[in-house]
Amino acid sequence: MPRWALTLLLTVALLMAALAGRAAPSEVIFWGQSFGPDSKGFEATIREFERRWPQYKVRVLSMGAGRMNPQKLMTAIVGQVPPDVVFQDRFTLSDWANRGAFMPLDDLIARDKGHDPFTPDLTKYVPATVSEATFEGKLYGIPFGCDTRVLYWNRKVFTEEAATLRKAGLDPNRAPRTWSEVLAYSRALTKIDKNGRLIRAGFLPNYGNSWLYLYAFQNNAQFMSADGRTCTLACPEAVEALEFMVKGYDLVGGYENAQKFQAGFRGNEFDPFYTGQVVMKVDGDWILPGFLKFVPGMDFAVAEPPVPDDRYYRRGRFAHERDQFITWAGGFSWAIPSGTRNKEGAWQLVKWLQSTEARVLENVAQAEWEKRRGREFVPRIIANMPANEESFRLLAPKDKNVAAALRLHIDISKFARIRPATFVGQVLWNEHVRAVDQAGIKARTPKQALLDGQERVQKDLDAEFEKEKFPIVDMKLPAYLGGGAALAALAVGIIAFSRKKMGRIERNEALWGYAFISPWLIGFLVFTIGPMVASLFFSFTQYNVLTDARWVGMKNYADMFALDQERLLKSFGNVLYLGGIGVPLGIITGLAVAMLLNTGVRGLRVYRTIYYLPAIVPSMASVILWVYILSPDPARGIVNGLWLQTLTPAFGVQPPGWTSVESWAKPALIFMGLWGAGSGMLLWLAALKGISPTLYEAASIDGASPRQQFMNITLPMLSPVILFSTIMGFIGAMNEFDRVYVISGGEGYGPNDTMLVPVYYLFQNAFAFFKMGYASALAWVIFLIVLVITLFQLWLGKRVVYSEVGQ
Amino acid sequence: MTTEALFAISTLAGWAGWLFFCLASLAGLRLAARAIGLDHGREQRSLLVNGLLAFACFVVSFLTPADIGRQIEGNGVRIPAVWLYMHFWGWAALMCLVMGGAAFIQTVLAISTEERATKLKWFCGWLVAGALSAWAFQSIAPQITVFRGAFFLAPATLGIGALLFFASLVFLAFSTRRATTRSTAKTLWTHLALLVGCVIFGLPFAWLLSSSFKEDKDLSGGVIWIPKVTETSAYLDPKHPQFLGTAYGMEVTAEPTKDLGNGKLQLDIVAPFNMRGRTFEALKSDLKPSPRQVPIVTGTWERTSFRGRVIEELDNGDRRVEALDPASLKGQVRDFKRDAVSESRPNGLRWKNYPEALQYLPPETKFGLVYLKNTLILVVLGVLGTLLSCAIVAYAFSRMRFPGREFLFKVLLATMMLPGAVTLMPQFLIFKSLGWIDTLQPLWVPAFFAGAFNVFMLRQFFNQVPMELEDAAKIDGCSFLRSFWTVMLPQVKPALAVIAIWTFMGTWNNFMGPLIYINSPENMPIAYALQLFSGDRSGEPGLLMAFATMTMLPVLALFFFAQKYFIEGVTLSGLGGR
Repeated sequence: MPRWALTLLLTVALLMAALAGRAAPSEVIFWGQSFGPDSKGFEATIREFERRWPQYKVRVLSMGAGRMNPQKLMTAIVGQVPPDVVFQDRFTLSDWANRGAFMPLDDLIARDKGHDPFTPDLTKYVPATVSEATFEGKLYGIPFGCDTRVLYWNRKVFTEEAATLRKAGLDPNRAPRTWSEVLAYSRALTKIDKNGRLIRAGFLPNYGNSWLYLYAFQNNAQFMSADGRTCTLACPEAVEALEFMVKGYDLVGGYENAQKFQAGFRGNEFDPFYTGQVVMKVDGDWILPGFLKFVPGMDFAVAEPPVPDDRYYRRGRFAHERDQFITWAGGFSWAIPSGTRNKEGAWQLVKWLQSTEARVLENVAQAEWEKRRGREFVPRIIANMPANEESFRLLAPKDKNVAAALRLHIDISKFARIRPATFVGQVLWNEHVRAVDQAGIKARTPKQALLDGQERVQKDLDAEFEKEKFPIVDMKLPAYLGGGAALAALAVGIIAFSRKKMGRIERNEALWGYAFISPWLIGFLVFTIGPMVASLFFSFTQYNVLTDARWVGMKNYADMFALDQERLLKSFGNVLYLGGIGVPLGIITGLAVAMLLNTGVRGLRVYRTIYYLPAIVPSMASVILWVYILSPDPARGIVNGLWLQTLTPAFGVQPPGWTSVESWAKPALIFMGLWGAGSGMLLWLAALKGISPTLYEAASIDGASPRQQFMNITLPMLSPVILFSTIMGFIGAMNEFDRVYVISGGEGYGPNDTMLVPVYYLFQNAFAFFKMGYASALAWVIFLIVLVITLFQLWLGKRVVYSEVGQ
Repeated sequence: MTTEALFAISTLAGWAGWLFFCLASLAGLRLAARAIGLDHGREQRSLLVNGLLAFACFVVSFLTPADIGRQIEGNGVRIPAVWLYMHFWGWAALMCLVMGGAAFIQTVLAISTEERATKLKWFCGWLVAGALSAWAFQSIAPQITVFRGAFFLAPATLGIGALLFFASLVFLAFSTRRATTRSTAKTLWTHLALLVGCVIFGLPFAWLLSSSFKEDKDLSGGVIWIPKVTETSAYLDPKHPQFLGTAYGMEVTAEPTKDLGNGKLQLDIVAPFNMRGRTFEALKSDLKPSPRQVPIVTGTWERTSFRGRVIEELDNGDRRVEALDPASLKGQVRDFKRDAVSESRPNGLRWKNYPEALQYLPPETKFGLVYLKNTLILVVLGVLGTLLSCAIVAYAFSRMRFPGREFLFKVLLATMMLPGAVTLMPQFLIFKSLGWIDTLQPLWVPAFFAGAFNVFMLRQFFNQVPMELEDAAKIDGCSFLRSFWTVMLPQVKPALAVIAIWTFMGTWNNFMGPLIYINSPENMPIAYALQLFSGDRSGEPGLLMAFATMTMLPVLALFFFAQKYFIEGVTLSGLGGR
């Protein structure tokens, strides 16, 4: 190798090492929010912090961390490069705290109390939000938001439909107060055309922001036992609440019908609540600015969310309840990861951000900015009560409906309930979302659906509480084992080699040969066989990297085939669908274009370039482009836009919801894949050119029709390439990850798990939940299945593929 | 019988009628054209049968009431239509059914027993496929909706369409007369099909470009292909002055917040965006007044229409407008209700989306240049590492003799089957223990350890190089390293180019790696940055599309320069895998 190449290599490597420098200590890295054109207020608080404490510089990065995407934060904490302050959804705090990922803040508060006027005074916070941020008696975050939910109702529609409502025995001048009332109002207000399509929905139980949690809280459901060891997701109160939701959906023609209806919803001034497509919804205060921006003066009103009848009339088990109405509050909080490299700076920033002064500054700066753009501002409700009052005093909206709504949002916070502070908070949330989905589509009864989720949450709880049963295992063991095995193999190799009788020249050549293959050999040992052994070892453990590993034997595999069997099957079913339909369609498309091009048309090069171009578009850009193209809003999604212009007026067919609907999500992925069929096309073109024209000449002399020629010459001659494309296509489908990750935004697996694919499932288990052991077990199962499928294809290939060698 | 079924029969009969009518007219035209080698009897039969069938269908179609469906408003000639709306599997089952029916008819009509057997096989095959599809349809989404509706064609459109249709029929009929015209027709159809494909394949690009030049206002509502831009006017606002100055080493636009005396001002940065909100102090003499861009509006001013610019947004929501045109009103100021004036938005492109998208990136990334730098580092190191390591390993496996060669090569082939998922987590732990999290190393170091597929492919190429070349070098006393580098490597240059391009694409597209390993913007490559950008800027698709376009450009540029290798690459990878 010439010297310059080596020098270049070394220089580049050194450069890389220099580039890997760490952040300066005075930097405070803040994750979970980003600066955007509308974040003027947040920006003002950060800049003010930098002015007051010039020794610190804040870097704000969204990183998808706060938005319930725990993977990024977890890898950063495990990799010992965590951010300093995280803006984190409160109900997940316990989960993190349990793993020791966040720092308890009590000591810091005690230390600074009385010395620093910015020290948080927790008595000034909405009590529910503080208990949500507390886990096992310690505070892990300072609450920010307190997004209470209330019922929004469109008074204009109520007035227009006054006669209908009166006929149904309902008062058109007020909102429903109880569950049975809201159903009665919904029945009276819902309009369905004769094809069963929704024209107007009175009330969609889960549209807006309510989830099962709100209704279950109203019904006094507890999701966890008091000691936090048992999950009671399927308690009778929660089942009742879910039954109420299902009933609400039945009134509008079922859950799927509602989803179809929702897929046609558009944003901004066409919001379904503004247009009266949805007459009542439960939602949070974040929707208030929209009224001023898009429909100033709209005739709407708010009320406490409807509660179970017995609660409202204070009878039965609610006879002695203090609260007549109940709302649910969630929200974010500021937390400090335990490995922070700038603890003081982080704490200073949190202290400042939570202060009433900063909260009011944020609102005032944002209001100023909105005014400059000719828009009105509505302050958000937060957990800091004095800040709410001050902001309301300074910036109460002029529109009286909006002001009334804001007032109710503030006042109702004393009836707020919270999600249980448990370390299975995230799993509980995911399972509850799934249960609503399953019960909605009637795949299960509400009870079954909740029991299903409960069982899974319980599994995680048990795994945690029972882990003492299992022996601790030293994680250095696989490293020693792997290293030892590699050394032993090397020793055996060297001994065998030195014993071998060889000439000098021969020996010299062999030594050079080993040296030459050493890059692969080392890579194979370090990056392939070592990790494989390690991963096999992991698959028998319970390991989350941050705490000790436990040897659990076959438990991971047993879990997979017991509890997770359905999901596993679903995920393989999904990739088989993608491969089984996507791959043949891709082959047909590519082959069709190639055959057209192979007829000797002019402009071959131009056509070839155009068809091939989509295949080289970077995959991330391509996914983002397609998500945009397939979005339901016609101004963004051109497919639905064109559909609305052509098919809808002609046939009255509403466009599909693509990635947001179960039955269209996978076809959408397949269409995306077809766009990249150009690379296959090139392959076919080359293969077609390789077929000897004499074969066709002979055939046409014998009087074979073009179809016969295709079936008897083209296809057999192409069969090796078809086999190759099929195998590669299937391997590609098995490794499907980027697209589903982007489409689902790193959370959930699409409607009814329609985009659940093995690699994504594994990734979530490994890097979001850090169940390293379980994920390793999954990896091995995936490996075996891929192996079986590939071997089957090869076996099939041997039987049907034409081979020139054999002739 | 339900109205839906009646309507479906009516419309389907109508469609069938048109089909038979076309077949009959084609036969008639052929007869009229006296095409060479024409089977007169057959054409006459075709004319008769198809004509009768068409007539029957039309009668059925006219007898069943066509207006029983939902009335759809529209102008022009009403062409009733029916359409089945069902899941993909439904269509598959329907197709299998039709194909199976055709195969069955062929079986019945088959001349020889041999043909009958083949057709029967096909029939059974379609039947099985149909049953499977029907089962899938039944279990996934067993709904069929018959949509009834109508197209409304303006008489002119209908006339032109009919004219074109008959012209093409005539063309088809006469084209059978000479062999050359037939091939011309074929060429035309081929081009037509290819062009339609190009439109479909190009549509996403066109939409991407169009969207990347749009204002946010055009991104709600309906389909807009040609972007519109709000006209603005430069206005020196005395109430809210703005200055151009230098701060933090770059040119910024800023608003004064405080007068510090001694001719000094404290200013708040407005642009570029990623510096917004930072303050700095400057001497008034160093600052240059900078006008704001205010929107131009049109409206009526005491019954005369006028153009003006909004000089202030008032507290009560009104807009203060200064007139620009006509000359008689110029310079006058008046307050208007918000909807009394409308912004002037002629067709145009909003180029600003591109620089603005870059301004939204974190300041550490130097307007995204750091992303590009990181990606380039990864690409250069990745390509270099892959080429060097794979070539040398492949050479050894191809040309050198050492004990265990065959065994090791089989192991190498076996690793090709291994999905990356199995080694993902232990690799993460290895890199973590090396302290490489949030650095680029985990993304490029493995490239220096020879990937199995590339080694396999290169070995095939080395095997094809004649032995004599290397033998000659050896006789001249060349070392292995030297004969590899100077004799063998140049022989496989095309394969190396192809591997380089594949590695380039693979590195550029790598998303999962950065997602796991990279945390700070300084170390982020483009693919991951784009995904984060799309999350943050989902509310401003104009910017997102502009950024997406920019991330595509380097790859597309490379493609146009190295098209030959790209195309060879696909071919080689496919045929090499045999």
